[in-house]
Amino acid sequence: MTAFVLALVVGALFALGTFLLLRRDLIRVVWGLAIISQAANVYLLAMGGIVEGTADTVPVLAGHGEHVPETADPLVQALVLTAIVIGFGMTAFALVLSYRVYEEHDTLDVSDLGDRE
Amino acid sequence: MMELPLAAPPIGTESQLVIAPILVVLVAGVGSLLFGRWPRARIGVSLAGGAAYAVVVAAIDWYVVLAPDAPGIATYQLGDWPAPFGITLVADGLSAFMLTMVAILGIASLVFSTRVLPEIDRRSYYFPLFHFLALGVTGAFLTGDLFNLFVWFEVMLMASYVFVAYYGGPQHTRAAFWYVALNLLASAVFLLGVGGIYATTGTLNMADLARRLAEPAAYGIDPGPVVGLLALLLSVFAIKAGLVPFQFWIPTAYRAAPPQISALLAGATKKVGIYAIIRLSFTVFGDAQVGVDLALPGLGTVVAGNSPTAFVGAALFVMAAASILVGGIGAVGRESIEGVLAYSSIGQVGFIAIPVAIAATTGSAELRHLAIVAALVYALNHTLAKGLLFLAVGAIRSSTGTSRLADLGGLAGRSPPMAIAFFVGSLALVGIPPLSGFFGKFLVFDAAARAELIPVLGLLLVGSLLTIAYATRMWNRSFWGARTPAVENAAVDSVQVGVLIALAAAIVGVGIGFELVYEFADAAATAALDADGYVDAVDPTDPEEIEGLEGGEHE
Repeated sequence: MTAFVLALVVGALFALGTFLLLRRDLIRVVWGLAIISQAANVYLLAMGGIVEGTADTVPVLAGHGEHVPETADPLVQALVLTAIVIGFGMTAFALVLSYRVYEEHDTLDVSDLGDRE
Repeated sequence: MMELPLAAPPIGTESQLVIAPILVVLVAGVGSLLFGRWPRARIGVSLAGGAAYAVVVAAIDWYVVLAPDAPGIATYQLGDWPAPFGITLVADGLSAFMLTMVAILGIASLVFSTRVLPEIDRRSYYFPLFHFLALGVTGAFLTGDLFNLFVWFEVMLMASYVFVAYYGGPQHTRAAFWYVALNLLASAVFLLGVGGIYATTGTLNMADLARRLAEPAAYGIDPGPVVGLLALLLSVFAIKAGLVPFQFWIPTAYRAAPPQISALLAGATKKVGIYAIIRLSFTVFGDAQVGVDLALPGLGTVVAGNSPTAFVGAALFVMAAASILVGGIGAVGRESIEGVLAYSSIGQVGFIAIPVAIAATTGSAELRHLAIVAALVYALNHTLAKGLLFLAVGAIRSSTGTSRLADLGGLAGRSPPMAIAFFVGSLALVGIPPLSGFFGKFLVFDAAARAELIPVLGLLLVGSLLTIAYATRMWNRSFWGARTPAVENAAVDSVQVGVLIALAAAIVGVGIGFELVYEFADAAATAALDADGYVDAVDPTDPEEIEGLEGGEHE
């Protein structure tokens, strides 16, 4: 059931992101990119499988000598954390860049940016 | 003190060498950041960093690959965590070959940069970013797991975004925005591929992945989805390499970036895409057991084997063929030198991808090896020649103020050394015998002929003719004819021309001393195809073997 809901959420996020990506307004394009990268993150989390982790998948826990608690797959969490940080940095950069495009071209409309050369 | 029950192999000198280039370039980047208020010191730190990088890469080349008793492959487990739990760095022949190309071109571009930046803007982060770009490229070549490949790609891209927007004019910001948007999308697709592979195989460590995919039954995994996931990753790498149909960003981005950075984008970051395709298709997925058979229409080859690599080969054939035609035809009609070079670099990547495709589809181990060597030698030639030509654009622009073919003419008489260097670069691109380009082209033709792919031979021939067409046109328009006012008043910088001459000498040197280069490329191809050696060197611990650790032994 959880897997089904997750699949639905990821699909909906990708659809929304793609829709925004195809807009004429640059800010919407940035929104679309942000949503798509978040969709990829949710998907990545789901890919860890919705099962409990044990000592053989999580050797760090065994190394500390205490009782191994039930845990989600920590690898995907580490991956997603990294991906989120990178994604936020990139989105911030894209926003700054679209502001700069606005300064240079006085518009945020893609079709007014003109042809290349 | 806590002692971990998991033991990693002892760390030797070779191991430490593996991480050295990353550390050197990181220190150079941070160091040049710290000296922001003293431009001369910043340049000094940057150059010293570049020199140290070259020394370290040369040490890897010698101690890991070329020395008589070299191990051929060295690994470094970060934090002493054994693979596949820790982060693995691996240097083998393939990585070393790629690193060497980047080191040569990087130094040339770095020295060139010190002369071309107007007044060395104090507040500009040019040099730190230069090192961070090199950091991303180096990390991508050395990393041993898929997710870190993604991370290093992002490091490299982040620096390149800034460079594309560097001049800050209307067309630069516009080019940068589309470049950023495209790459963000590609990153999301990359994550999808990585996540899918993790869900399918339960690991992201390349060596562990190769081992599990070779015997899927033993690890209880169904490798079927891997073919599609590899296709996803291939599209991401094709974007980085600029293969058709993912080439559309290249002309605008290369025109917008400073020429000495375009040299790096064409010579180094493109090669990261090629490297990733070779590494994943052959080292990681080469032995994968997936039951498929595929006939290529028109080529008459039945794709041999049961590995997803065959699909990569089929897709690469199509993309490479289109790249050669689109790049070649596009380059003939451009109005500026960098426009010609940008399109040319789409076509040249096609020439690199063709032998990779041949290697992926052939059944013969010998031909596969030869084709990989051909791809690597061609890549080396492309890095040197295209790097030289883009730097020449920088020299022409900083001396005459323009790089439009219509405003140039008679440069040969104005600066004969620059003309000689440019001429050598163009000839290497075309593939004239004593130069590095000849051997690259010869090996590619050889591989296609041995695979008995007549249509591919024809395509390569057309591509070569197109190369001759745009190279002569570019040369005739800018270096011959009457001098234009811009050329008459040009002030040529001797250091810039010196860098060009040095690269031209390298191109001639590779051609003359080709035996050594071939030996190196041969070792690189062996490493790329030797999945077992890769797995043995990284030696991923099997999670099954450490069972019974529950509770842990604490001392």
